Amino acid sequence: MVAIEVPEVNYTEYSNRQLVAIPLAVLVLALAIIGGWFLVTGAPANLGLEFTGGVELRIADDGGDVEQQIETAFDRQPDSVRSIPADDVYVVTFRAADEDPEGLANDLSTQAEEAGLSTNAIDQVSPSFASDTARTAIIGVALAFLGMSVLVFAMFRTFVPSLAVVASAFSDLVVPIAVMNLLGIQMTLGTIAALLMIIGYSVDSDILLNNSVLRRTGEFYESVNRAMRTGVTMTLTSMAAMIVMAIVAALFGVDLLRNIGIILSVGLCADLMNTYLLNVSLLRWYKFEGVKR
Amino acid sequence: MLEPIKNNWRILLLVVVVLGATVALFAPQFGPQTAPGENVSEAQQGVTNLQYGLDLAGGTRVRAPLIGYTATEVDFGGDQPDEVARAVAAELENASARDIGAVPEENAVEVTNPTVTESEFRAAMDASGYAYEDIRSGVTQETRDIAQEVITSKINEAGLSGGSVQQVQSLTGEYFILVEVPGEGREDVIELLEERGTVQIDIAYATENGTAIQEEVLIQDDFEDIGTAAQADRGTGAYVPVTVRNTAPEGEQSPAHSFQQAVADRRFASAYNSNQDQCRYANGSLSGERNPCLLLTVDGEVVNSFGMDAELADSMASGGWATDGGFRLTTSEFSEAEQISINLRAGALPAELDISGQGTSRSISATQGENYKTYSLVTGILAVFAVAGMVFLRYREPAVALPMIVTALAEVYALLGIAALLSYPLELAVIAGFIAVVGTGVDDLVIIADEVMSEGEVNSRKVFNSRFRRAFWVIGAAAATTIIAMSPLMVLSLGDLSGFAIFTILGVLIGVLITRPAYGDILRRLLTIR
Repeated sequence: MVAIEVPEVNYTEYSNRQLVAIPLAVLVLALAIIGGWFLVTGAPANLGLEFTGGVELRIADDGGDVEQQIETAFDRQPDSVRSIPADDVYVVTFRAADEDPEGLANDLSTQAEEAGLSTNAIDQVSPSFASDTARTAIIGVALAFLGMSVLVFAMFRTFVPSLAVVASAFSDLVVPIAVMNLLGIQMTLGTIAALLMIIGYSVDSDILLNNSVLRRTGEFYESVNRAMRTGVTMTLTSMAAMIVMAIVAALFGVDLLRNIGIILSVGLCADLMNTYLLNVSLLRWYKFEGVKR
Repeated sequence: MLEPIKNNWRILLLVVVVLGATVALFAPQFGPQTAPGENVSEAQQGVTNLQYGLDLAGGTRVRAPLIGYTATEVDFGGDQPDEVARAVAAELENASARDIGAVPEENAVEVTNPTVTESEFRAAMDASGYAYEDIRSGVTQETRDIAQEVITSKINEAGLSGGSVQQVQSLTGEYFILVEVPGEGREDVIELLEERGTVQIDIAYATENGTAIQEEVLIQDDFEDIGTAAQADRGTGAYVPVTVRNTAPEGEQSPAHSFQQAVADRRFASAYNSNQDQCRYANGSLSGERNPCLLLTVDGEVVNSFGMDAELADSMASGGWATDGGFRLTTSEFSEAEQISINLRAGALPAELDISGQGTSRSISATQGENYKTYSLVTGILAVFAVAGMVFLRYREPAVALPMIVTALAEVYALLGIAALLSYPLELAVIAGFIAVVGTGVDDLVIIADEVMSEGEVNSRKVFNSRFRRAFWVIGAAAATTIIAMSPLMVLSLGDLSGFAIFTILGVLIGVLITRPAYGDILRRLLTIR
């Protein structure tokens, strides 16, 4: 059996500048993607039904040419039709029409019925409610991030190490959003929950690292390696759970669980990079140069 | 004797929690509340006491605002609410006094007729001469409360068990009515919400050989205004003020006049002369002095019977009452008056629900819910296996890894127990919370294991304890950040996500306070016994 051995990294071979370069480059790239998205589409990510408004129908695939029927059943062209073979359904999405949001869900379900399609689930979100939700979600993420930052500063009471934690948490948040955009994953309430979860999850390994270096006796590199052994194991186990959740939920078409799984996997990946490159180098600078000043 | 308990209290606490969760999950005493006419086993979904929400059991959720506009901080200038309502209604072409609500407790005046626009209402308020601060969209608290009660009674009357009606507020301060009905399709629920029940007032009167009923003396449309229940000025009684419409198309009698006629014909005036004269009506017949009675009938069923005040009966007999058209339905109890007010409105919500415009709805068929239940179970089990696999690969020592997995599972089990105890309906979001708890839980156990086993052998209790305490600082700090990060979700109205947040936070708390210390003890026994 293969055992997972966390490799010891010889940090002395690299300068702080080299270590910081990679996570910073990734962060800048991610911000550029999100900024570009904003300029082109008017939103920082692909907004899902909950944030744009519209109707989503889950139509049972009971044999026959359901896809063909879906094409012809509705007065309006669906914005997307997805097939989920494991659950035998098609997910049909209609964006809210600005001109006439009234009674959309009623019309659509009647049209589906007339075409002989059986509807397993209907979700309807009004545009005004959706924009409300979007605002609430942004405030929620901002509040969570702010609360986490305050708590971290209160716990360590030193500027640079605390900043290192907050900076890597910020990057952990931004990178998954950029990856979502590239993969075409929509921003939904599930992904907001996942982003908040990242704020909570990702600082664990940063706190562990800071604690090991700042509050424990021992040489710097020894402390880092000790924290890394534990931290990497932690992150990998969480990632394993999330990747499995993402894959299984994607097969079954349970979007909420799939999205949470994907976002957390990406966020934890970003966290590995940010903790052991960005955070370590900031700590090293603080320990060897910052303190003397 | 006490020594072993003292030494192992952390493990014992975990055992107690697990046993408690078992009781909450399986003991019939903690079973879900039953709807009228339902026994415990029918209310139970499956072998456990767990309640499944919309996602996992199927059903419909509708969330919509009540249509209307409200003028805030209105100066009533000492006028009675109905005077104010009439004055404002007089300035609106397409609204009657019934569409206007004046609520002195909230210093508010509202319009609930969907055809009235904001600017029309503003103009009417200006013209009526009552000073006000601003006009906002939405209705008053009182109207929302009534709407909530009306919908609740409708759901109960339709015999739908497990339905719930709540008021929720969005971040922008707008109020929504949230209706959840398990096991019903979208169309059925919306039909139920939009359907109007029939309410009418009949007169029961004595004939030579029994009791006769004159039906539909007043029907719902005949009321110009139905007030809210109020405490009587003197005595213990309560009443609902109502006003009967005194307008009619050309050549027809107004409802107030025809009602007055009917009351006079049935000789209420001669029957009721003092407070001693009572209405005695039960099971379709009059008893005692067999005085005529007014019957309040909802959907064909008599829900209450009233006598009449002597003065009122006289003014009806003399024909002077109809111009005013107001009377009070009196009761002995306030709660009874409230119920009558609701019944009179039953079916007719005090304001319309804007379901298709600003509403959101979610409907899931029972089969889809059943599928989701299976899928989330499979997903959860596989996620646990993934975690277990990683832990075994890393430690390769069952003595460390096995208790780790068992402890993490105990955490989820305790959470399920809490869900059963609170009758909190499980949703997909809650399941995601459980999986997140397994993830964080194992993280912290890894911290404990690594810390305790670092720097050589653990050969004494003292060494163990100091290492364990060190590990705990990190765990506590990590738990605090998770709780802080999730707490906004708990309070912000973001749909299902509050369930996710609540169970993640509960999981972290159970972990830090109960399961992780217990794991420390288990590990200590396994490592120091050698």
